[in-house]
Amino acid sequence: MRNIFVIAKNTLKLEIRDKILYGIIIFGLLYIFFTLFLSDLVLKELPMVKSFGLTGIYFFNAIIALFLGTTSFFKDVDRKVVYFILSKPVSRAQFLLGKFFGLCMVLFFATVILSVAYLGLILYEHGGFDALGLLAIAMQFLEMALFLAFAIFVSTFSSSLLSIVYTSGVFFLGHVVSSLLSAAKQIGLGGIKLVLVEILYYVFPNLEKFDARDLAIHAVAMPFTEFALAVAYAAVYIILLLSAAIWIFEKKEI
Amino acid sequence: MVEFSHLTKAYKKRVVVDDFTLSVDVPIFGFLGQNGAGKTTIMKVIVGLLAPTSGTITIDGSLASHPIFKKKIGYMPETPYFYEKMTGMEFLRFCDSLFEGGGNDQKHYESLLKKVGIYGARDFEIGTYSKGMRQRLGFAQALVNDPEYLFLDEPLDGLDPIGRREMKEVMLDLKKEGRRIFLNTHILYDVEEICDEVGIIHQGKLLYAGSVKAFCAGKPLEERFMEVVEEHEKQIADVAQTV
Repeated sequence: MRNIFVIAKNTLKLEIRDKILYGIIIFGLLYIFFTLFLSDLVLKELPMVKSFGLTGIYFFNAIIALFLGTTSFFKDVDRKVVYFILSKPVSRAQFLLGKFFGLCMVLFFATVILSVAYLGLILYEHGGFDALGLLAIAMQFLEMALFLAFAIFVSTFSSSLLSIVYTSGVFFLGHVVSSLLSAAKQIGLGGIKLVLVEILYYVFPNLEKFDARDLAIHAVAMPFTEFALAVAYAAVYIILLLSAAIWIFEKKEI
Repeated sequence: MVEFSHLTKAYKKRVVVDDFTLSVDVPIFGFLGQNGAGKTTIMKVIVGLLAPTSGTITIDGSLASHPIFKKKIGYMPETPYFYEKMTGMEFLRFCDSLFEGGGNDQKHYESLLKKVGIYGARDFEIGTYSKGMRQRLGFAQALVNDPEYLFLDEPLDGLDPIGRREMKEVMLDLKKEGRRIFLNTHILYDVEEICDEVGIIHQGKLLYAGSVKAFCAGKPLEERFMEVVEEHEKQIADVAQTV
């Protein structure tokens, strides 16, 4: 446990020195401030302002997660920095988990900065604290943690570039699988086609479970069971992905 | 004592270390061989980076694969890569913090950096270090846990003549302190100068193990090395022809 923490702390320390991360955060902040002017265009309608802001945080966090998840772990292995670490009393599982939690901490750091800007904007424009918006951001964070776990899983057996392709593909599919399944059922799709859609639905993560933005935008509270289910879903998926990643990494010749 | 018993390592069907059996009980032992001879693979198996295909390695009677053994060793990989954004001092602290109770001994890190001659660059980012400075830092991190056994893969590679001299002196000092050093090299002169015994490896096979003096038998080391390697290749060619 101690080693996981040491590696996570070191990952956080290194990644927050990366200029690329700051570049993405700065663009995220610019986007949120740009929302100030966009809100004038939509006559300062709160739902529109919230929609712009929350989507911006989601988009820039997704870029950060994709960038960190597909490069950080892969680089350490590919550039053989792991030789120093794994020749010390550190197991491969501890290293991989340390990287995952470290990257989650970096993502949390970026999320906090963007969230403070967003909440400040809502406070300035409409004079209130957007608690539901904050919950939507927390749900987005869960999705990004899952996204990171998937990127690390893919990095254990493919190059950085391929990981970007696979992870982006899963990100896209993860948002359409549930709509695809309900559409298939609605139009009465059957046979092998329905089986294929069902396989897609069960194999790929259903990322729509983490989309609480619409609820936050329209000030509708999220049912607790839905929230708890989403948390459990993310936890189970992350555990499965990281277990598979550890299994592959332990067998890998480095 | 380090004992290798029928150690074999294969990558898919390619055998890179072949039935390697050896006992080492001298302060400084050098693995000597051409590039691709299997020296690095053996060292990676010893320090637990690779699993052997078959065979065992024991250190003082215990299996080297046991996690407790990692507390006793220091390892310097060939052409070390680092976290470029870290400073030399931060890297040492990080490496030490991977050992239980480590990560807080500033004076120890300073003395290590002084020992390897990069104390003046301790607060510079590693990304700005020259190849020689990286080698020295790689050496320093191998010493951070005060190890009983040191495994150094091409430790003198990339160092200038003064650097080589200094690092050899450090190794001899470590020998005086009672530590056991294993080093991989393809530079014959270094072996002759600091190793008590050598192991000549070629194509994954151990061709000779023993003292440098006995191996040379009055001839220059380079000449004897070439003779042994050529003789081995001739034997392989003869066997292939017979088959």
